[in-house]
Amino acid sequence: MRLSILVALLLALVAIRHAEAADPLPFERGSWARLRASHAGEPTVIHFWGLTCGPCLVELPHWGKLLAERPDLRLVLVAADPLPQDPERVATTLRGAGLDGRESWSFIDRFYERLRYEIDPAWAGELPRTVMIDRDGKATVLPGVADLNRVRAWLDAQPKSTHQE
Amino acid sequence: MRRVLLGLGLLLLLGGSAVAQHHGGGSAEAFTATPAFGPDGALWLARAMKDRIVVVKSADLGRTFGPPVAVTPEPMTLDWGPDARPHIVVDAGGNPIVTFAIFQDQRFNGRAFSARSTDQGASFSKPQPLTANTTSQRFETVAIDPAGRVFAVWLDKRNVAAARTKGQDYPGAALGYAWSDNGGGSFGDTSIALDNTCECCRLGVAFAGPGRPAIVFRNIFEGSIRDHAVVTFKDATTPGPLRRVSVDDWKLEACPHHGPSLAVAPDGSYHVAWFTDGAARKGLFYARADSADAAFSAPRALSSPDRQPARPYLLANGKAMHLVWKEFDGTKVEVRWQASHDSGRTWSEVRTVAATADASDHPLLVAHGNRAYLSWLTKAEGYRLIALEDQP
Repeated sequence: MRLSILVALLLALVAIRHAEAADPLPFERGSWARLRASHAGEPTVIHFWGLTCGPCLVELPHWGKLLAERPDLRLVLVAADPLPQDPERVATTLRGAGLDGRESWSFIDRFYERLRYEIDPAWAGELPRTVMIDRDGKATVLPGVADLNRVRAWLDAQPKSTHQE
Repeated sequence: MRRVLLGLGLLLLLGGSAVAQHHGGGSAEAFTATPAFGPDGALWLARAMKDRIVVVKSADLGRTFGPPVAVTPEPMTLDWGPDARPHIVVDAGGNPIVTFAIFQDQRFNGRAFSARSTDQGASFSKPQPLTANTTSQRFETVAIDPAGRVFAVWLDKRNVAAARTKGQDYPGAALGYAWSDNGGGSFGDTSIALDNTCECCRLGVAFAGPGRPAIVFRNIFEGSIRDHAVVTFKDATTPGPLRRVSVDDWKLEACPHHGPSLAVAPDGSYHVAWFTDGAARKGLFYARADSADAAFSAPRALSSPDRQPARPYLLANGKAMHLVWKEFDGTKVEVRWQASHDSGRTWSEVRTVAATADASDHPLLVAHGNRAYLSWLTKAEGYRLIALEDQP
């Protein structure tokens, strides 16, 4: 019992630290499990984008607007470029889209197959891609540019009270 | 137990920041090796390094290599796109010709160059642009036709710029090409074979005969459908009609960085392998056509989509047709191989010819005489040239 509280505390610490970092967190082998664990039990929207993906750069500011509109949106950003990108450019691009200060990760491992496989074996790597995970861990995938009305509807369907201790 | 957990937590906290510092700054790095055999059986590789291209030569089928010879005298921002690589061909006199592209800016506009050696690879000429137009060229490919004439083809954005000044929309890029009449020392006037191709997938080039290039590429069909097509030239300056390889119905407003491969067999048959994530089918596929004018067969799936099949490559070598691609099993990337001895109608059982547990370049095929080889650069093992059996 006390152990689980300790684990939760540690994971919360990790999450806070992540949220404050200006540079993206390095997304490497095992990161997906860490990311999932740190948001377990909380409805979370994970948006995969890339500096090398034109439509992603057009879409990003819309996520910035949605975030301003919906305080209940727990958004995590993952730059999933096939080749590791300059973290400063990742951070600058997010800031420009109004996504500064959000939990942000960036692929840093050239073993791209492995990173994608950990996330979803059937994901061929196309971007953008949005994964919405509810409090029970059920994932809904929106491939391509996301219809934000679907994201709003999904948020509306999530139970409001998130802590069950 | 508690101490272990605390330690783990600290590792998570500290580990993250340490790695973050290490990967700071700098741009993405190219990691490719492109092979070609010389007439004497020497193996040549064009290697894209951090900011330059070098050529190395092996007289013992890739076991040992001579010292690297610089192709690019100055440091350059090479095109590091995941489907980009320098290309190399070796002419009948044993002289290599190398083509490559650089990024001109941070918006992925490229500039393509060629460099040639006239002293059998001891040195290279100063790289010359493939074309005078400076808008953008990427995914250049160089090939020598059956008569020995050097041909280059690339994705060119000059017509995008032209359309924009007229306030018109122009999806994708164009297929630009040029011939060299001095053995690759320089290239003649550029022509546009076709407009509105996908803009960041590699091209596949083969020849239907002297002066008759055949090119496979990801096209943009009506409605932003990014499926594959082949164009065969009627003569050196007349591109033939566009032939669709398959209706995969992949509607996409982006570029998948995942181009096709083409081989033309001695019997004139066409063979194409490609990746799609379309509504009609998803994964890697192969199809054949009896001739340049015949329709393509129904696509045959290679592997299953949950094994991340990727980067197919075809090679016709005499009566043998070889096909390789990458697959991932959750731990290892494997290069899978099939061969056909009846013009692609039936294929051998799929076999794994090499594997790695870290990052890797695309698998490529190259042949000398009767022997075909897998050419593969991997982070853990380095460069490997692996002989394929003739009769799998």
